[in-house]
Amino acid sequence: MKKILSLTVNGDTYEVAVSPWKTLLDVLRDNLGLMGTKRGCSIGTCGVCTVIIDGKAILSCLTLALECEGKAITTIEGISSEGSLHPVQKSFIENGAIQCGYCSPGIIMTAKALLDENPHPSDDEIKEALAGTFCRCTGHVKIMEAIKKVSQPAGEGASHAPGK
Amino acid sequence: MPRGSEKYSVIGKRQPKLDAVHKATGRSQFTDDVVLPNMLYGKIVRSTIPRGKILSIDTSRAERVPGVKAVITHKDTGGLMVGPDQQLLCEDMVYYFGDEVAAVAAVDEETAIEAAGLIKVEYEPLQPLFSIEEATAEGAPVLHQYFEDNYADEVTMNFGDAEKAFAESDHIRVDEFIVNAGHNTFAEHHVVIADFTLPNKLSVWTPIQSALLIQKSMAQDFGLPESNVRILSLNTGGAFSGKPSARPHHSIAALLSRKSGRPVKIRITADEEFIVCRSGSRGKFTLKTGVKKDGTLKAVEADILHDCGAYIEIQFIMLRFFGLSLQLLYKLDAERYRGRLVYTNNPPYFFPHGGGLVGLRFAFDSQFDLIARDLGLDPVEMRLKNAVDKGYTTLSKTHYASCGLKECIRKTAKTSGWKKKYGKLPPFRGIGIGCGVINSGGKGLYDHDTSAAFLKIGEDGRVSLFTGLPDMGQGSHTTMAMIAAETLGIVPEDITVISGDTDIAPMDIGAFSQRGTFTTGNAVKVAALDARKQLEKTASKKFGTRPSALVFRDKKVYPKGTPEKAVSFEDVVSDTLHSQEGRYVMGRGFYNPPTERTDPVTYEGNATLAFSFGAQIAEVEVDPETGIVKLLNMTVAHDVGRAINPLAVEGQLDGQVFSGMAQTLFEECIMENGMVLNSSPVEYKLPRPFEIPEIAHIIVETNDPYGPYGAKEVGEGPIMCTAQAIANAVSNAIGYPVKELPITPERVLQALRQKGKNHAPKK
Repeated sequence: MKKILSLTVNGDTYEVAVSPWKTLLDVLRDNLGLMGTKRGCSIGTCGVCTVIIDGKAILSCLTLALECEGKAITTIEGISSEGSLHPVQKSFIENGAIQCGYCSPGIIMTAKALLDENPHPSDDEIKEALAGTFCRCTGHVKIMEAIKKVSQPAGEGASHAPGK
Repeated sequence: MPRGSEKYSVIGKRQPKLDAVHKATGRSQFTDDVVLPNMLYGKIVRSTIPRGKILSIDTSRAERVPGVKAVITHKDTGGLMVGPDQQLLCEDMVYYFGDEVAAVAAVDEETAIEAAGLIKVEYEPLQPLFSIEEATAEGAPVLHQYFEDNYADEVTMNFGDAEKAFAESDHIRVDEFIVNAGHNTFAEHHVVIADFTLPNKLSVWTPIQSALLIQKSMAQDFGLPESNVRILSLNTGGAFSGKPSARPHHSIAALLSRKSGRPVKIRITADEEFIVCRSGSRGKFTLKTGVKKDGTLKAVEADILHDCGAYIEIQFIMLRFFGLSLQLLYKLDAERYRGRLVYTNNPPYFFPHGGGLVGLRFAFDSQFDLIARDLGLDPVEMRLKNAVDKGYTTLSKTHYASCGLKECIRKTAKTSGWKKKYGKLPPFRGIGIGCGVINSGGKGLYDHDTSAAFLKIGEDGRVSLFTGLPDMGQGSHTTMAMIAAETLGIVPEDITVISGDTDIAPMDIGAFSQRGTFTTGNAVKVAALDARKQLEKTASKKFGTRPSALVFRDKKVYPKGTPEKAVSFEDVVSDTLHSQEGRYVMGRGFYNPPTERTDPVTYEGNATLAFSFGAQIAEVEVDPETGIVKLLNMTVAHDVGRAINPLAVEGQLDGQVFSGMAQTLFEECIMENGMVLNSSPVEYKLPRPFEIPEIAHIIVETNDPYGPYGAKEVGEGPIMCTAQAIANAVSNAIGYPVKELPITPERVLQALRQKGKNHAPKK
C-alpha cells in the first residue's frame, strides 16, 4: 500500500504517494526528479547520495522516505541559485576538487553540513566528516584543500564564511 | 613556474575544469539520471554455483508476474558469444558464480527483481578450480572445451642473448612476487540503457572509456552497420581501466529491449559490481635478474602466471604488455619472457587500475632493491646507473624522443631528503623509491591509433569542439579545450566541448592506453590549425602581412611585434563570414602516430611515439604490534612532457598515489569458492581520508617533440611507480622483503615472524 507523504525539500513542499520501502534517494530521484543526488552503492558505504536533513549529513539510500515527513531536506539543488554558487561549490571548482564528479554532490553536502555546524574545523575533523566518502579520482587531496580554503580563510574573513 | 609558460597564454595555466560547475551542482547527467519514456528495468539471473551443467531453466513463473514484459534465456540470444569462450547467456554450462543465465525486464526494478528470483535453474555441480595452482595441477579437469589444458593464452618473448648476458653477470637473483585480486571501485557503477525498439537502430546509454569499442562489438553482435549503433556516454563516473569496452549487460539490455519493444535500463548492484567489473586478478611473477658487481643490469627472465578467471575477455593484451614493459625502464642486454593466463572458476578478470602493470612494476622494482641490497649499493644510485635516456632504443626497438627518468629520480631524491634518510631512519620507519614508465597511446589494437576532431566557430568568436574522447574525470575535455584555445589564441571558456554521442562526435579509439592528451590532443591541434589557417587569410589581407607573421593570442590577432594594431578574434571570424567568399570557419583534424605495429612474432617495433617516466619516494611507518603500515609522505615526480593544465596534472598525481597506495596496502578481493566475500566498499577496506599521505608534486617537463605543445600522458603513468615505492619503504622499515600485495597487517606480521625465525640465534 502506498502512503501519501508530505516532504519539504529545498524549502518546497511536495506531496507524493510512495511505497513504505522506498528510500529517500528513490523518492528524490524517481518521484521528484531531483537527479543531482547521485545513486552510488545504495547500501550506505560510499557517501555518494548524501543529503542534509535538519542540518545533518545523511545517506539518503539508507533513509526511508516515510521517516522524512516534517523534516527539512536539503539536496545539492538547494544550496545554490543560478549565478551564485555556495562557497564550498566554488572552492571545489577552483581548487580542482572535482574530477569525474559522481561523488561531488555527496561530498559537497557532507562538507556543507560540517561547516554549518563547525565553521573552522581542524584537519582531523574534516577527515572524520569525510570518512564515509570515497573518491579514487582525487584521492581526497584536493577535496581537503578545497574545504580548508573555505573554512580557514586567509585574511578575507567573513566573505568566505559558508552561508546558508 | 613551468618552463616556457610565458610563451603560451593558455598552456601551463591552472585551469579549473570547464564542466566543474555542472558537476558541483549535480546538473551533470550520468547514465542513471536518464529516464526514457516507457522505459523498463532489467535484472540478470546469475549462476549460483561456480561450475556445473545447466539441467533446466524454468521461466514460466517469472513470465506470469504482472508487469514483466520480457524474459530471455540462451535461446533468445541467437547463440551470441562474448569473446571466444563465453556465451552471452549460458546454454548448458556455467563457469563462475555469477555467470549470466537469464534476464527479465519489467515495469519497475522491484518487479524485475521478484521475477528474476522466480526463474528456476537446475544445475549439476562440477568440480570447480579456484587457483592457478589447482588449475595447472596434474590431472586437473579442463574447464573449457576446445582447449587441451587450462592455459588460456601464452606469450613468449626473447630479446638479445639471455644466455650470454646471464653468463656475464656477477650476481643472479630469483624471486617470486604475488599480487592478489582487486577491484577498481569507481563511484558510478556499471549501468546501461538500451533502446532497440526500431529494428535498425540501437541506442545505448552507458559510462564507457571507449565508445568506439562498444559500438563495434554491439554492431557485430546484432548484425547492424556500426553507424546504426549510437553510443551515448554522457558523463562517466570514474573508470580506472574498469570500463573500457562492452560487458554482457550491454547486449542483454539490448536483447530485452528488442523483445519487449521498450527501452530497458539495467543497474548493476554493489554485489554484482565485483563480478561485472571483471577487475584485477591474482598473479605470480617469477623474476630472474642478472647484474654486474657495479650494479649494471644485464638480463631479466620473467615467468608470469595470471589467473584469468572463467573467461579470457581481452586479458591477452595484458600478457603482451608485461613482456614489453620489462625492458622499457632500465637498460638491459637481454630479456626472456613467458606469460600465461590460466582459466579458473573465479569471476572473469579484466584490468585493475593501471592495466595490470602495477603488479609487474612492483615485482621488478622490488627485486631491483633486493639486488641493490645484495651488492651494497644505494637504490637511487643504482637506478640512475641503469635508467634509460633520451635517444635510447630499447631491446624491442622502442625509441625515446624525450625522457625525464633521471631527472625524476634526482629530483625525488633531493626533495625527499633521501641521502639524509636512507638507512638512517629510526626502527620501523622506512624509505623506498619506485620508478615507472608508460606509453602515451600507440598502435596495437588496430593498425591505426587515430583520433579525430573538428570544430566550428560562431560569428561571436565562440568555438564548439567535437571529440569522441570521453572524460571520465581526468579532465581530458578541458585539456582539449586548452589546446584548441592556445592554437586559436582564445580562452578555454569560449569553447564548448561536445562529446559522448557517436552520432555527433568524430571517431576516437577512446580514453585508455594513456592516449588522450597525446593522440587526441594532436588531432585537436590539427583541427584548430586548420581553422586558424582560414582566419589567417582574412587577417593577413587586412594587415598586409604574411600569415606566418600573425599572432593569435588573448582573443586578439595582430602582426608580430605590433600588438597595438590588434583586432579582436571575433572580428576576424566575422570578417571571414562577411567577405566575398562568405566563409564559415570549420576546422578538421585527425592524428595517427607515424609508428609501426609491434611485430606479432618478434614483438619488435616502435608502436608508440612518446613514453612518460616517473619516480616516487615513499616514507612509511610500520607498527610492529599491529602490522599496520602508514604511508606518511610521497614525493612524486612525473615527466609529462608539458603540463597543459598543472591543476589537472596534480589531480592525476594525487589520485594515482592514493589509488596506488590502495592497491599496495589495502585492496584485496577475499575469495571463497569463487565468490567475492567482501563485495562492498566498506568490507573491501578502501583507504579513506585519514589515510591521505603528504604528497609533494614535481612536474618534469621534457617537451616531447611529437606531443601537442610537448605534452605526454599523465593518465596511468604515476601509478606505475607507487606500489614498489611503498613496498620498498616497508621492506626498508622492517628489514625484511615483502613480496606480496596488498601489504596487509597480517602479511607484515608474517614477514616480521619470518625475519625473527631467520635471525634467531643458533643453538
